[in-house]
Parts: sequence; structure tokens; C-alpha cells
Amino acid sequence: MTPENAFDQHHQAVYSFAYRLTRRQDVAEDITQECFLSLIRAPQRFDAARGSMKVFLFSIARNLVLKQYRDDHPGEPLDGVEEQIATDPRGSLEISSAVATAVAGLPHLQQEALILFEYEGVTLDEIARITGADTGTVKSRLHRARTRLRRVLAEYRNTGSEHATI
Amino acid sequence: MQPSDNDELTDRELDSILPEWKAPLAPARLRAAVFPEVPGPWWRRLWTGSIRVPVPVACLLAVVLVLAAWRWFTPQTITTKTIYRDRIASFTADAGAAATQLRPVTELRPRIVRSADAQN
Repeated sequence: MTPENAFDQHHQAVYSFAYRLTRRQDVAEDITQECFLSLIRAPQRFDAARGSMKVFLFSIARNLVLKQYRDDHPGEPLDGVEEQIATDPRGSLEISSAVATAVAGLPHLQQEALILFEYEGVTLDEIARITGADTGTVKSRLHRARTRLRRVLAEYRNTGSEHATI
Repeated sequence: MQPSDNDELTDRELDSILPEWKAPLAPARLRAAVFPEVPGPWWRRLWTGSIRVPVPVACLLAVVLVLAAWRWFTPQTITTKTIYRDRIASFTADAGAAATQLRPVTELRPRIVRSADAQN
């Protein structure tokens, strides 16, 4: 697969992944650009036997996001404490903002597992390869993230289905 | 939409809410940033290209150009040296006046040296 083909197929997924983790479009753009420039500079680093191109690109993007996270939150652990979120955000937040805020309140490692699984359609095994963790750990992070979101987003119980039926 | 008495969503409810958070589309300029256009032939770059020159270098070049122009447009003096056998006469004059100060040689002493005689 040429870098151009890889870009055409995966740049939106890489960008979305970086955006959802950083919540900044400029940073997501920089990370996506750097991700594909890394592929162009050293295409031999991609080994199809170790995973798909998508996994390879998400691995690079994940490292760049982690670097950004450490720059923004020096000394803060990746699997840190969950942030407190307002119990009833309906008055001030749209449903999409509420979901974004709820995900942002998760520890970083739970966020990346949730975003890769729920939004980018990456399998648990692939997430394990991307994050360098074993599948059980990824499963546990995902479970904790979903448990937390089920509780935080309970106020929006009917909103999702209402939107879904439109 | 009424607040629910239940504390948690079900998995199904959560699955229906999560897609509400949409990521923006990647900007179109990303492709140009990753794959810049291939430059054209050298002669086209010669016409359309530009170079960056540091200010000190530009100032130095400007001074050199002004000095060169000043020297080019200023009338020059010519120093003519005529070498005689026993003395050196120097004339320093303007280019126009130099010709008038030249004098014919007062005493001409030609000496012919032949290579055959020189060997004897």
C-alpha cells in the first residue's frame, strides 16, 4: 500500500481519533500530518505481519497524542482519577457536548480504549497492539469507561433514541 | 425528555448516545501538507522562485552596488609610466590630457643582437 493510498483510506480515522483525545482541531491536524509524514519517511517500519496499516497508523498517532498529553499535563498519571462531572448538565450542554465532556472526564487510557473501540471500530486485540497492553487490560479499561459513562450520561436516557428515530 | 429515576443507562442506551458526539471532518489542506506538489522544471523555478536574504547581507550588497556605481561614473585618472634606459618618467593626468604630455624620445639607441653573434 502506498502512502497516498494509506492517507486516502485512514486519514479521517486518524484525525478523528486525535481530535477526540485532544479535543483540539489544530493539534489533531498536526498529529495526523506527522503520522503520515512518519510513514513516508520510514515506510519500512510498517510490517504487515504485525498488524494492519490502520493499527500501525493508530500506534503512531497514539504516541503523538501521549506526547501532547504529557506536555499539557506534566506529572499527571495516564490512568489517573476520574474527573468530577456535573450531575445534570442538560441545561448547559448539548448531548454531543455532554458525551464529549463525559469522555474527557475519563482517565486517558480509558479514553483511548473507548474511542478506538466505539468510534473507530478497532477490535480489542488491535487496541491491545496499539496500546502495548494485553487484551484483558484493554477489556477492563473499556468496561470501566462504559460503566462510568452509563452513570454520567444517565440524564440523557431518551435523547439518544430520540435522535436515532429521526 | 424527562429525567429518569434510574441511576445508570443500559448498554443499549449508551450505544445509542455515544454516536451523538461527532468529530469534525479533516481539513482538505492536510493532503497538501503531507504530499506537497512536485516542483516544476528548473527554468520555471528560476522565474517564479524566490530566495531569502538576511538583512545584513542585503545591506552589504547595497553598499557594494553603490560604491561600484560611484566608481563607474566618476572620471578616472591614468598614471602613465614611460621607462627610459636611465630614468623613469611618470605622468599622472586625466585621460584626455595624457596624450598631450607625451614627448618624442630624445635619443634613440637601437642595439641589434643576433643570436649567431651572441654564440661567438
